[in-house]
Amino acid sequence: MIDLRLNGLPVQVEEGSTLLEAAGMYGIPIPTLCHMDGLSPYGACRLCVVEVGADGRSELVSACTYPAQDGLLVRTASRRVLRARRMVLELLLASCPQSKAIQDLAAAHDVRRQRFHQEHEDCILCGLCVRMCAEQMTGHAIGFQGRGEHRSIGTPYDARSAECKLCGGCIYVCPACSLRCTYTDPERAVCGGCANLAPPCLDKSQFHDMMCTMDPCVACEIG
Amino acid sequence: MELEQLTSPAAFRSLQRRIVAEHDWHVPRIVIPAGTCGQASGANDLIRVTKREMIARGLVGKVQLRVTGCHGYCELEPSVLVVPSGTFYPRVDMANMARIVDAVANDEVLEDLLYVDEATGRRIRRQADIPFFRHQTRPLMSRNERADPIRLIHYIREGGYAALATVLERGDAAWVIDEVKTSGLRGRGGAGFPTGLKWEMLASQNSGRPRFLVCNADEGDPGAYMDRSLLEGNPHSILEGMVIGAFATGAREGVIYVRAEYPLAIKHLLIAMRRARSTGLLGEDILGTGFSFDIELVKGAGAFVCGEETALVRSIDGRVGEPRQRPPYPVERGIEGMPTIINNVETWANIPHIIDQGGVAFSALGTPASSGTKIFSLVGQVRNTGLVEVPMGVSIAHIVNDIGGGPVASAPIKAVQTGGPSGGCIPASKFDLPVEFESLKQAGSIMGSGGMIVMDTNTCMVDVARYFMAFLKDESCGKCFTCRKGTQRLYELLDDIVSGRGTPAHIPLLTELAEAVRETSMCGLGRSAPNPVLSTIEYFAEEYRRHIEDKRCDAFVCQQLVGAPCATACPVGTEAWRYVAHIQRGELAEAYHVIREANPFPSVCARVCHHPCEVRCRAGLAGGDPVAIRALKRFVTDGSDPASFVPRRQPLNDRPPVAIVGSGPAGLTAAHFLSLKGHRVTIIEKEREPGGMLYSAIPPYRLPREVIRREVDALLDENITLRCNTALGRDVTIDSLLDEGFGAIFVAIGAHESLRLGLDGEDVEGVIPSIQFLKSFNLAGEPLARGRVGVIGGGNSAVDAARVALRQPDVESVTILYRRTRAEMPAFADEIDAAIEEGVTLETLVTPQSIRAQWGRLAGLEFLRNRLGDRDASGRRRPVPIQGSEEVLALDTLVVAISEGSDTDCLAVVGANRIDVDDRARTVRVDPVTLRTNRPQVFAGGDVTTGPATVIDAIAAGKRAATMIDLYLAGAELEVPGEALLPRHYVEPVALDDASAVRLSPRRVPSSVRRESFQEVEMAFTTEQARAEAARCLRCDLEFIGGGDDEATLASVGVTADQAPSGAVPAGGAAPGGFTVGPGDEGSHGDGAKPPGGAS
Repeated sequence: MIDLRLNGLPVQVEEGSTLLEAAGMYGIPIPTLCHMDGLSPYGACRLCVVEVGADGRSELVSACTYPAQDGLLVRTASRRVLRARRMVLELLLASCPQSKAIQDLAAAHDVRRQRFHQEHEDCILCGLCVRMCAEQMTGHAIGFQGRGEHRSIGTPYDARSAECKLCGGCIYVCPACSLRCTYTDPERAVCGGCANLAPPCLDKSQFHDMMCTMDPCVACEIG
Repeated sequence: MELEQLTSPAAFRSLQRRIVAEHDWHVPRIVIPAGTCGQASGANDLIRVTKREMIARGLVGKVQLRVTGCHGYCELEPSVLVVPSGTFYPRVDMANMARIVDAVANDEVLEDLLYVDEATGRRIRRQADIPFFRHQTRPLMSRNERADPIRLIHYIREGGYAALATVLERGDAAWVIDEVKTSGLRGRGGAGFPTGLKWEMLASQNSGRPRFLVCNADEGDPGAYMDRSLLEGNPHSILEGMVIGAFATGAREGVIYVRAEYPLAIKHLLIAMRRARSTGLLGEDILGTGFSFDIELVKGAGAFVCGEETALVRSIDGRVGEPRQRPPYPVERGIEGMPTIINNVETWANIPHIIDQGGVAFSALGTPASSGTKIFSLVGQVRNTGLVEVPMGVSIAHIVNDIGGGPVASAPIKAVQTGGPSGGCIPASKFDLPVEFESLKQAGSIMGSGGMIVMDTNTCMVDVARYFMAFLKDESCGKCFTCRKGTQRLYELLDDIVSGRGTPAHIPLLTELAEAVRETSMCGLGRSAPNPVLSTIEYFAEEYRRHIEDKRCDAFVCQQLVGAPCATACPVGTEAWRYVAHIQRGELAEAYHVIREANPFPSVCARVCHHPCEVRCRAGLAGGDPVAIRALKRFVTDGSDPASFVPRRQPLNDRPPVAIVGSGPAGLTAAHFLSLKGHRVTIIEKEREPGGMLYSAIPPYRLPREVIRREVDALLDENITLRCNTALGRDVTIDSLLDEGFGAIFVAIGAHESLRLGLDGEDVEGVIPSIQFLKSFNLAGEPLARGRVGVIGGGNSAVDAARVALRQPDVESVTILYRRTRAEMPAFADEIDAAIEEGVTLETLVTPQSIRAQWGRLAGLEFLRNRLGDRDASGRRRPVPIQGSEEVLALDTLVVAISEGSDTDCLAVVGANRIDVDDRARTVRVDPVTLRTNRPQVFAGGDVTTGPATVIDAIAAGKRAATMIDLYLAGAELEVPGEALLPRHYVEPVALDDASAVRLSPRRVPSSVRRESFQEVEMAFTTEQARAEAARCLRCDLEFIGGGDDEATLASVGVTADQAPSGAVPAGGAAPGGFTVGPGDEGSHGDGAKPPGGAS
């Protein structure tokens, strides 16, 4: 077992736990968009930053990837943490203002405006779908492309991947922006999972061979 | 010599001894550096020619050729070094190679091809004596000169692999780690982690699992290539370092991760690895000791982020190069999850040196916390660019000035960017900073891998920050949100600022975001990415403010703020491009209107302006000559009647009148523009007639008196009352003027007091302050100079005094004495040229010591010679007197023209009503934006606030004062929002048929005639000359307005065609309404309401 202090509270966690798991176990909430139990930690969204170390030599690290260590001092809601978290939320709000999850988080953190050029993106590149596909579905159908501002999620050569089982797992885990199904253009669909067995999609003959059992997404319901 | 597999350290030792013994050190060798830089500049051609000439002359065996990697002085490649003599030939032309081969064979030196020291003009023969090399300490780089990188035998001859043999003979891994720890070597990749400690951590990992060593050769910083030079020039030193490291840490496999863009480095590494393996220095059973270690080469695909160690490990594993959170550090979990250490190329290259000389000896170089030497790649606006190796702890100034040779052009150096895109900019004021890990970090930058980009004042720091953000937003891996989006947003904010969309809220938002990116990013790339932004905001806040508030880029880089550079450079915003375009079309009346609209003294400025417009003219960049804008203005004004311009006036208002003290260019300009705004103005002038410094300081051969009179008369109108022969402090005071009922006062009394030298005997007969000298002559016609005349000073008043003295009847000779060199004289270069042409002698680098007098009269001046010392804050080299170099110059007249101040005593009021003055500079203190003094009703501008400056600056001050006083009298805030001066008028270009590239100069009166007369020296262009010169204009305005005649497009951007048929503006006196005005700025023309920056 590892002994550490969480917000001043002495706690014990199992070896190999991350700080996020440690905090979760003791009921201390840490917001995150890119973490999901059962998928490997990734550290992409930076919302779960916490302050580790003593005053003067402390730093911010992502709780989801940082291993719990003996004697570590961790603060999950220090002024520094909250300031950084608010900026992350402001950036998220500036890029994906339509996401309900981001709106809720921003409101909870008292972020009421964003000061950048407004964008309307539908992906925060948290990578949950990529990990879901690879780790739970052993699909490896989708992955990241490009780097920096050109980074995106897609299939090799942007062609329909033979690895894709059309399971819809990627859409299921999408935390923030609700990855849209693109059933009207199946050639470009990431997985086409929304063409499921629920009534709105049943009529669409081109999806008869698909195996998804998810609830229909909003777009399908409208469509 | 064919090398065989070596089976023991002893066999290696004997081989090394044999190689050294068999080498004939006396055979002259031609060494040609042919790294990537050398090959790019033509070294391969030199090598080919050298071989051919050696064979043709039968010199094979008598002279040898050695092809090596880069020696560091990349700028002068292709170069040739001759050993053992050390002779250095820079930038060798192929045609000269045969001569060099001959000279080497005959042990001669070709003087004409040697390096010329720009500071002294002398030729320097030996490489070691050249300042660039002399100030360096080069244990690593000098090895590049001595060995052909693809010949193992060369490396062994120079002592290579002896360190490995020593290590294997001792067989004690702990001892190796101890030596490296003792040496204090810190990682050269940027973070500076102690290498010995890292090795110890690897060595202490649980045994059983394989361990890996990595050489990080993924050098990706823009402008940095020191690792490349080591990989190309001395690959064996890196291999040797790694084998030693492997022995110390127990690793059996190593990887060199080198970027694929370094093909020559890859080739040399592969050759070196093959040779080392076949000789038993790498691979299985090294030197027969049973110790095995092999190296694999992995080529990186060019992602900058792969230089980060966790990303690099992933890339070696064959996955996408993305960093991950540390811990666990690679030393616990690296390649294939096994313990791994990663060191930089330069770190590995240092290892053999440490073993050879011992850790203690190594740590003697550098500072206690940062030992050894470091290679920097010195690039940018510095005279000598290349790779520079110095001990840690030397100052930036030493690297930039002594090794780099100072600025490459006339613009002073303002900052150095260190550490690549993640580094920061260090301003010139901090150049004393020692170059070591901690001090650079404290200053907001990092050591990084050693890039040093020198920037001069023509570099815009906001643009630099934007450039690095553009680089980083592309090179961020994009995994973590704040690095990906943060760099993108930082770029956007900076782009707003350079494009003129910046607001005061941008700076706090930039800082806040930069802090967040630094705090929350996962890896080193994101954590250091904000450095360029934060360091420039810290050190160059004023530049940011200028961009945001004034909408000005003083480096003339940001296009959306600069517009047409000639117009923006002009303190009063004269649109030179516009009148030049009209001249080309033959529309002189329009041209005059453009000039006169901005500037009430066009004829004066056409003669004496220091034409900042020409300095910034794009035709003058990149080696060309700027358009002769001032001469073109002269051509227009000579043919125009000032009365032909009828400015737009506002009706007379009933606000209290304004008093203006002084009728020089500042005072008259203010009076004119206040009058146009409907104010009543009274001008108080001490002398008999208005004109101020124009009359008293500028000699008639530069500015004929009738030109001043004509222009001044045209400005005086019924709203302006002139009170001459009235002096402030004698006849009136500030308070008496306020009592008279004036609502505001503008003090523009100029700078009429020469500052004193502060030497004994300055009051003897024959020593004259320059202003007194010029005034006596210009106003009263009294020639005060006689015999041998000396003038102390280097400014315009010194040159004016010298040229006036030369024209006086009793003068035999005139000498100007200046303490720095001619290049640093503040006087206008063409005035200095004209003075020398007329026969004035120039003595530079002298410091006056004492004034010799005889019978109460000046007899001579004793002075010391100076040499140039260190650079001061302005980047100029300080003159240092040479003790014992006293000389005496016999003189009959000495004019002291070191600088001027104002007669601030006349403002002296005791008590609460005192006007704030700077007693040392003898100037009045004002707010630079509002020109207001500490008393709210009193404004001041021109030389009285700045010290001696130029006519156009005084006019600009007058214009600004008029705007501010108008606002003040209206009870408004003294604020004018900044606005970029972008071209808004379209003048259709004339089709070019025979535009010449050569700048035309107006004719001048021959110097023989000039000496005898005060006739104006420079003559005007002829019409043909003027149109030909005008045709050289590059029309920068068209970038903003766009060509063509699509009126809808033009109207949409607020542009009006400025090509009224010539009848619309009658030459004899145009109605203001006849002059076309852009729809967006109707009413702003001719009223002069805007400050210099804001005139549309």
